[in-house]
Amino acid sequence: MNENEKKLSDYIDSLNKEKKPREHENMTEAPEMEELFKTVRLVRSLKEPSLPEDEYGEKLAEAAGNRLLYIKNSRKKRKKWLLTIASAAAVALIIILNLTLPFGRNNMTYAMEKAFEEVKAYHGFLEIVEINGAGKSIMQSKMEVWADREGRYYVKGLDGPQKNLITVNNGQNKWQIQPEQKEVNIFSAFPDSYSFTFEIGKEIDDVKNALKTKIIGDGTISGRSATIMEVTPQGGSPYKIWVDKDTKMPLQKQTSMENSIQYKMYYTSIGFTNSIPKKLLSYTLPEGFKEIDTNSQQIVGSLEDAKKITGFTPKVPKNIPASFTQDNITVASDSKVVKILYISMDNKNKVEILQKKSSSEFKPVSTAVIGRINNSAAEIQSPVQNEVGILQGIDSYAGSTDINSVRWQLNGFEYAVVGNLSLEELKLFIKDLTNGIVDLPSSKRGNLAKPEVKVPVDLKIEQAEQKNADRGHSPWKLDPVFTSQVFVSLKISPEGIQGDYPIKYEELNVLKNTGIDAVVEVGGKNTPIRKVYLKKLIRQDSTGIWTVVGYDPT
Amino acid sequence: MKEGEKNIKAEDISYIEKMCADTWKSLYRFIYFKVQNREEAEDITQETYCKAILYMKKSNVRIDKSMGFLKTVSLNILRDRWRKSKRQGKTVNFDDINPEMTAIEDYTENIAQREIIQNALKILNKDQRTVIELRILKGCSVADTARLMNKKESTIRVMQYRSLQALNKIIKEKH
Repeated sequence: MNENEKKLSDYIDSLNKEKKPREHENMTEAPEMEELFKTVRLVRSLKEPSLPEDEYGEKLAEAAGNRLLYIKNSRKKRKKWLLTIASAAAVALIIILNLTLPFGRNNMTYAMEKAFEEVKAYHGFLEIVEINGAGKSIMQSKMEVWADREGRYYVKGLDGPQKNLITVNNGQNKWQIQPEQKEVNIFSAFPDSYSFTFEIGKEIDDVKNALKTKIIGDGTISGRSATIMEVTPQGGSPYKIWVDKDTKMPLQKQTSMENSIQYKMYYTSIGFTNSIPKKLLSYTLPEGFKEIDTNSQQIVGSLEDAKKITGFTPKVPKNIPASFTQDNITVASDSKVVKILYISMDNKNKVEILQKKSSSEFKPVSTAVIGRINNSAAEIQSPVQNEVGILQGIDSYAGSTDINSVRWQLNGFEYAVVGNLSLEELKLFIKDLTNGIVDLPSSKRGNLAKPEVKVPVDLKIEQAEQKNADRGHSPWKLDPVFTSQVFVSLKISPEGIQGDYPIKYEELNVLKNTGIDAVVEVGGKNTPIRKVYLKKLIRQDSTGIWTVVGYDPT
Repeated sequence: MKEGEKNIKAEDISYIEKMCADTWKSLYRFIYFKVQNREEAEDITQETYCKAILYMKKSNVRIDKSMGFLKTVSLNILRDRWRKSKRQGKTVNFDDINPEMTAIEDYTENIAQREIIQNALKILNKDQRTVIELRILKGCSVADTARLMNKKESTIRVMQYRSLQALNKIIKEKH
């Protein structure tokens, strides 16, 4: 067989798989080969085309609508002549992203992503096994799982501590049926800080966002041939996933051994369907069960209704991104917080705008990045780690790795914009709400002012500290204020800290925090240090530890 | 293409939604006919709408008869890609297209062309026709085709190459 025969055969195979052939990317073939490729396409045109999923049309409209909105927003701020350049750049970016980004990624990651795009819903049986240092396996739980692309799911425990426990999120509500207690707990559907372990869509997202992925071999899972991939996440230790060669779905995951324990989770069977059966997603209180509503928020019909309860008219952004629509308005009966929920057309993204009358002095949490909104400090958490101020008691935000928030006070009111969008996307909602300057620090910014005294750093020790923090030890290293408190206290008592710290936590104040660099001011009279300079040296995200790199003496 | 009476306004999203809903299937089929794979057809369809919306906004016009306009935009995108390859000194022979004519034709309904291909297939000998039907029309793998035709995989690859050469020659002669 000569090379051209193989090329032609590969070309046919690509089209049969509905994939773009390499030759369409870079047409470098001799004319006679191009003739043959054309003949293949002509023959193939006798067949009915393979159509995309039904939602494809909606996605197109959404993408086009976003383009229009982008142009409109650009015009507001820039001179007209700039528009052409900006739009052309944006179009070029869209084209580059659409056409080239997938090819730059790891092939297996891209294959998983594309394969999952075809999946509307799936139904599987999942097992979770704990393996100890001696290699002994203990079954932790078995569960039946239904999940769809819009984030809805039904999970039923079949064995283990969660046997017979049913957890459902139908996009409107989340509830958990506990047969032993004969109780049904009702939760807010969003944010959903915990769905279930090894949700396939989330796993693929994690692989996409990983620092590094590497194919390390072949194996089998439940009798199916699989490719084994090692994934190094942004935070935490590397783990392995088994990707089914046939469906390109990750069907098994094995964590690394931490403290002599590792976990393995795998689907013993899985099937792909069009939807989750309706009866599984519809709520009915089983006979003899008690309903416990943990959600103290009531839905109101209009802003007028919200005003009647809270005493103020909530602000509403006028120009939200076209892909979002307002879903509902709720008021927390006790805290008088108004929450306006926006949902994207594909139901995947949700943004909440929270507002209430200020009841206390604004103090950002110590782990937050500090930005400015209309010249006032803004607390930025990416992701949300601490729920304080208006975030407290509304929904369970902390613990979700994909939920970001921006909180600030202005003219006697406290606001927060929370959602599973990037900060840049949340900024669109904030800008429209404030009509002022929104400055959310970029992690690419340069260093802050230099310290008067530099503190030498041993990177090997810091790397070990980071690993410790990844395992859950020394969590205070993730907090720049706590790290400063320990540093200053040890300067005061070099022999070690006994009893209370000589400097109180409340006496420290974050002056700046870009997410990579921070400056903490030390109050009180008994301190030899006035300012502490910190840096995230090992990892520059919410899981990265802070290291003191310098200070200003008193 | 005709300039409408009203300019497109930023909030006129419903127009875009309606245009996409009304046209995407036809446009997608048109592009698919050219590229014959779903991945590329989806990409070019999306790019077509982005470019079309940008043009409409930039020129402050609303497009009537948008299907013809969209087809022209999509053909331009395809042609840009071919030109890019040509600039690299390579010969590209995707199709010889008159964009304006093509924009108002629907290739998926081009019965004459279908007839030419079907008649050309009939002229091939039985083995040649079978290998093309199995590999291209039924989408069988080389291994499956080899099993069904009781031949080696390497033979199938050679056969399909020669069959397509023969078919190409017949189609050219018929044109």
